[in-house]
Amino acid sequence: MPKTVIPFGPQHPVLPEPLHLKLVMEDEKVVEAVPAIGYVHRGLEKLTELKEFTQNVFVVERICGICSCMHAQAYCQGIETLMDIQVPDRARYLRVIWAELHRIHSHLLWLGLLADAFGFESLFMQAWRDREKIMDIMEETAGSRVIISVNTIGGTRRDISPELLTKTKVVIDDVKQDIQRLEPVFLNDYTVKHRLVGVGVLSEKDARRLGTVGPMARASGIVTDFRTTGYAAYGELEVEPIVMTDGDSYARTVVRIKEVYQSIDLIRQAIDKLPAGEIAAPFKGFPTGEVISRVEQPRGEVLYYLRANGTKNLERMRVRTPTFANIPALLKILPGSELANVPILILTIDPCISCTER
Amino acid sequence: MIENVKEITVQELLGEVQKLHYDGYRLVTATCVDNNNDTLDIYYHFDMDYKLTNLKLTIPKGTAVPSISKIFFCALLVENEIKELFGVNIENLVVDFGGHLLLSDGAPDNPMLRQQITIVKKGEDKNA
Repeated sequence: MPKTVIPFGPQHPVLPEPLHLKLVMEDEKVVEAVPAIGYVHRGLEKLTELKEFTQNVFVVERICGICSCMHAQAYCQGIETLMDIQVPDRARYLRVIWAELHRIHSHLLWLGLLADAFGFESLFMQAWRDREKIMDIMEETAGSRVIISVNTIGGTRRDISPELLTKTKVVIDDVKQDIQRLEPVFLNDYTVKHRLVGVGVLSEKDARRLGTVGPMARASGIVTDFRTTGYAAYGELEVEPIVMTDGDSYARTVVRIKEVYQSIDLIRQAIDKLPAGEIAAPFKGFPTGEVISRVEQPRGEVLYYLRANGTKNLERMRVRTPTFANIPALLKILPGSELANVPILILTIDPCISCTER
Repeated sequence: MIENVKEITVQELLGEVQKLHYDGYRLVTATCVDNNNDTLDIYYHFDMDYKLTNLKLTIPKGTAVPSISKIFFCALLVENEIKELFGVNIENLVVDFGGHLLLSDGAPDNPMLRQQITIVKKGEDKNA
């Protein structure tokens, strides 16, 4: 059968960000996919060599809006290790609260986009309506909705008042009820299951071989979640990786829905255990040495490599974002799929192209 | 401060990577650093049970390095990136983007390399 090449993207209704795939097709089946990125490469790693190490917190937050809080957290943790800064307990818990709020809004954003991709518009709008409550509470606690800029080297830039903590608990309980209403539609609706079950199966072996991370890896049966290593205050909270074994698009949806509940639970735990005290430790001097800092973002593990030479500028900062790690898995699940399923498969890795290209 | 760093040579690279692949390690990524002289460091980061094992390669700029993408397919993006941004001649990539993974035509060559800038005062011979 003759092969045809169909360019998918960079502009496509299902893609919030520009990603281009050359799809080699035989009739309606994909036989090969070659990615092309570079549409939003901004050279932010180079920029961090030119800015002062304290200013870089604001640079790394702009790698990606959806997980900006965790980018800053990973960067700050790296610098704190290099400079031997002890982060106050309260700040460690506050970092968890804001990080988990970010995870909820990221997963709800993804659930909405997924619903949009399979043409369920009302489900898309309801997921995003619920997400608004999280965005509003982030604005109330941090002053802005997306790039909340709460992390700083040594702790956090803001505190949360007892009244707002109480309100946060009310909001997350409210969101939990909303998700409980949406969950049966995502998981039991006939048409939704038809689009997700058995689509884009990634085996555990392939997921390991391809270096897959985050919900994508957990949906394929890999027990991995960097939060279980106990960074920030996670070591004092109960967190278990949410794992499925089917490895298909449906399993990836289940993992993310369950992680929304998990994040709600973690926020509740963190608020209940939030200690009193300072929110940031003062520091002097400049960082020296090399360090690797890792954090679990909504899409999976992010890695920061930092090399400092005792001046105000870093010699090198390298970021490996989760989408960068999950693109090889996308290239694995696309061949053999129907063209109509390509948008769903791209979405199920929860691609963040801004992160990938930096 | 990075733990578990093993310094290797270009000749040892594929053998060491193959060994880690056999032992079930996950390739996390690779990192290239310009040492501000004539050399580059390339770290290959591998993970097993949340612990990193790092292979460190220090090479003169312009040295050819074999691709590990035939052992770890997921290395293809990061190796293309290193090739493009640092000008490392990575050979035998499974998919070679030819310097156009991130950069477009007309972009500066190897923008992550530190540039040597010579300031020439007015009236001085820049070739002197």
